Amino acid sequence: MKEKIKKHHLIALCLLCLTGTLCWLTGVQFLSMRKTDTFYPSPGLSAQTKLSDYFPQLADSPGDTAVYCFRGEEEGGNLLILGGTHPNEPAGFITAVLLLENITVSRGKIFIIPQANLSGFTHDDPFEGNPQKFSLETPGGRRWFRFGSRLTNPTHQWPDPTLFTNAAGQALSGAEVRNLNRSYPGKEKGHLTEQIAFGIMELIKKEEIDLSLDLHEAAPEYPVVNAIVFHENSAELAAIASMELQMEDIDIRMEASPPSLRGLSHREWGDHTPSMAILLETANASHGRLKGKPSEALIVEGKDPNYVKASKLGMLFVPYSKDGIPIKERVARHLAAVNALVSGLRELNPDQAIDIGNFPPAQTVNEQGIGLYLHPPK
Amino acid sequence: MKIIYHLIVLLLIMNLIWYLFREKQFWTQVSIAIVLIMFFLRLFLIK
Amino acid sequence: MPEYAIFLSMVVIFAILAMGLKLPIGVSLVFSALAGALLGGEGLALRHLVEGSFGYFDTILIIVTAMIFMKVLQASGILDTITAILLKTFYKRKVTLLLTVMAIVMFPGMITGSSTAAVLSTGALIAPVLIKLGLSKVKTAALIAMGGILGMIAPPVNILVMIMGGGVDMPYIGLTIPLLIIVIPLAIIISLWLGYKDIQILDYEQMKSILPESYSQEYGFRLSLPVLVVILLMIGQGFTSSFMPDIGIPAIFLVGSLVGIFCARPFNFFKVTQDAMKESMPILCILAGVGMFIQIMTLTGGRGWIVMSFLSLPPVLLYLGISISMPLFGAVSAYGSASILGVPFILALINKNAIITSAALSAIAGLGDLMPPTALAGIFAAQIVGEKNYFKVLRYCLVPALFELAMGIGVLLLAPVIEKII
Ligand SMILES: [Zn+2]
Repeated sequence: MKEKIKKHHLIALCLLCLTGTLCWLTGVQFLSMRKTDTFYPSPGLSAQTKLSDYFPQLADSPGDTAVYCFRGEEEGGNLLILGGTHPNEPAGFITAVLLLENITVSRGKIFIIPQANLSGFTHDDPFEGNPQKFSLETPGGRRWFRFGSRLTNPTHQWPDPTLFTNAAGQALSGAEVRNLNRSYPGKEKGHLTEQIAFGIMELIKKEEIDLSLDLHEAAPEYPVVNAIVFHENSAELAAIASMELQMEDIDIRMEASPPSLRGLSHREWGDHTPSMAILLETANASHGRLKGKPSEALIVEGKDPNYVKASKLGMLFVPYSKDGIPIKERVARHLAAVNALVSGLRELNPDQAIDIGNFPPAQTVNEQGIGLYLHPPK
Repeated sequence: MKIIYHLIVLLLIMNLIWYLFREKQFWTQVSIAIVLIMFFLRLFLIK
Repeated sequence: MPEYAIFLSMVVIFAILAMGLKLPIGVSLVFSALAGALLGGEGLALRHLVEGSFGYFDTILIIVTAMIFMKVLQASGILDTITAILLKTFYKRKVTLLLTVMAIVMFPGMITGSSTAAVLSTGALIAPVLIKLGLSKVKTAALIAMGGILGMIAPPVNILVMIMGGGVDMPYIGLTIPLLIIVIPLAIIISLWLGYKDIQILDYEQMKSILPESYSQEYGFRLSLPVLVVILLMIGQGFTSSFMPDIGIPAIFLVGSLVGIFCARPFNFFKVTQDAMKESMPILCILAGVGMFIQIMTLTGGRGWIVMSFLSLPPVLLYLGISISMPLFGAVSAYGSASILGVPFILALINKNAIITSAALSAIAGLGDLMPPTALAGIFAAQIVGEKNYFKVLRYCLVPALFELAMGIGVLLLAPVIEKII
């Protein structure tokens, strides 16, 4: 009897050690996602602040994120560009990075937040099998970027409620409590994600932003894709911009922000601040439910045989061929749309004109790749 | 609330380890070890 | 190796391990996932394996704490007392009994959107009553499992619809009536189908003789506190969000369990938690294993292959595809089925009213909680009646599940008509 007891205790001990080792091995990989991305702001940068400068409660929290500010000499319009609301939608994030590493502003002000939900960049969604990072080639070497989750890291915000009723009163499934783009207008004393949303609202109000842009991506089978989603206060601007994009042969859908869908940026920014509110979507196969094998290539090159098949069956809302939709094309779309919206703003209201120098040209990015405009890694 | 869930996880880990050492069937012990991985990683707020 | 071949090998390896070598289901899933990663050229893919298991971490917390709560109810004598009270009230009214029992089982599911919470809390309360009145163990379990699933679908909280709605940007508004249209007839038909023939009408003396020991004399009102606290906290969720964060289902069950220590017959709390661990371990490991299996399936392209295979069915077969794939995919949990298949199916049915479509699809996806190897509703229902082989329970769930499936498909087909009525 004694012998037997010893044996199963010994096995338990071995298993405990094995468990520890596995925790160690995987833990190192999970923690590798906490290493921050490095950006190289253009010389035109006026100031780098943090979201906590607008909402001090965020200081030292995993939700605090960098705000890059470009101030022109002349008075003009104020623009906010948000990337990385959803860290698994890389085109939005990379577009913001590309802008902050290139532009100069001579008139008006531009605020860029490349990683709006910084906590979401620190982990991956279970079940999705995505890589933790992806890379883009620059003339001076390869730059790596994190590929995160749609939601805030559960170790930063835990537990999820059964039901999440956001500050705008919409009831959603519990996990959405970690979705930044369901949390607006945010809550001062709410969950971390709601505080991030609150901080962004504070920025929009304090900096008197005239136009706020939220850059996203969606699955190709999702009806709102390759689209400008606009709050009713921005309908005219969106119409002007879409016409300009059509002239550049860029097809873009106009989608009015549904008044019943509460908590999203394009709804609450417009309802709660004087700012015009627009959200942009491109088509990202690695984001979809039909996706084949997930990989870095799927993120960057956007080729997926499943989506080619789905396209033939008429299930997609964007054209999708075997060449896929690479990230350079998606980023180029975002760039073209931002550019069209800025010039639309000038047309609509000359007081709010913004003059941007070194704007990465959409066509060149599409033809020659993003890397051309990315700062090489140090 | 986070601290409460931390404590819940700690309570369950202690129970799981106790159970791991008391259990005599090898494959049940393996099952416990598999489940323990998650609990440890969450206890240390890694994943 | 093509993606479907990797997926099929994973299934074959799982079958060999689980049925051939008789390893526990959970462990077999873990090893077949590992094999899939190796076959897919991903190496050991430890990060993916562990990440996948985390997809069920919240579910696991709910299950363990619900199990602790159930064991507390048993150990403290509360369960016996409630059985006694229910028996005294209902022993001669068959239809009222069955309908009340169904409503009681459904209730926690309705407010948490989780069938597990329903089966392991109020399901455990009413199981002894039904058994004492002559319903067989397995039929009792089947009734409780179906009650849990119907509770999960019933308003006000239907997480399945919320998950699908989240994928197509549909607000969770206006679902109460479509969901009630689906759930109320099913609740009546299923409870009567399973119970009407077998439940015995007793006279007072017979009832007396089977009455379990009641502690209500000794402890009085205090006895009901644990159950009351759990129900109140469940209902109260969301109301507190203006001044404090929601406490969540696991904490609710633990609070209920702690209250139980002081409210009835004394018992050893540590022993209770150990019992709860022991009884829930198979399913905990299955969930961890399924999470790993799913993640590797996605990683090797198998998930995409499955989703595409069903979505590319010709339109006439689409409803058949929904009927087969959604419950089947529910083997990885009804929530997974709602997210992975529910969203593309709503998009495929986009010319119909999304609210009615999602309500109907949630009824079909909910059946996933009966699908082995997870079969959450079936396994726990079998456990609370003390039936070792949960497949016996599933057999009695088959006809009720077909009712539910027919209802779901019927509502899908009639969506344009229903839309006009409501
Ligand atoms: Zn997004």
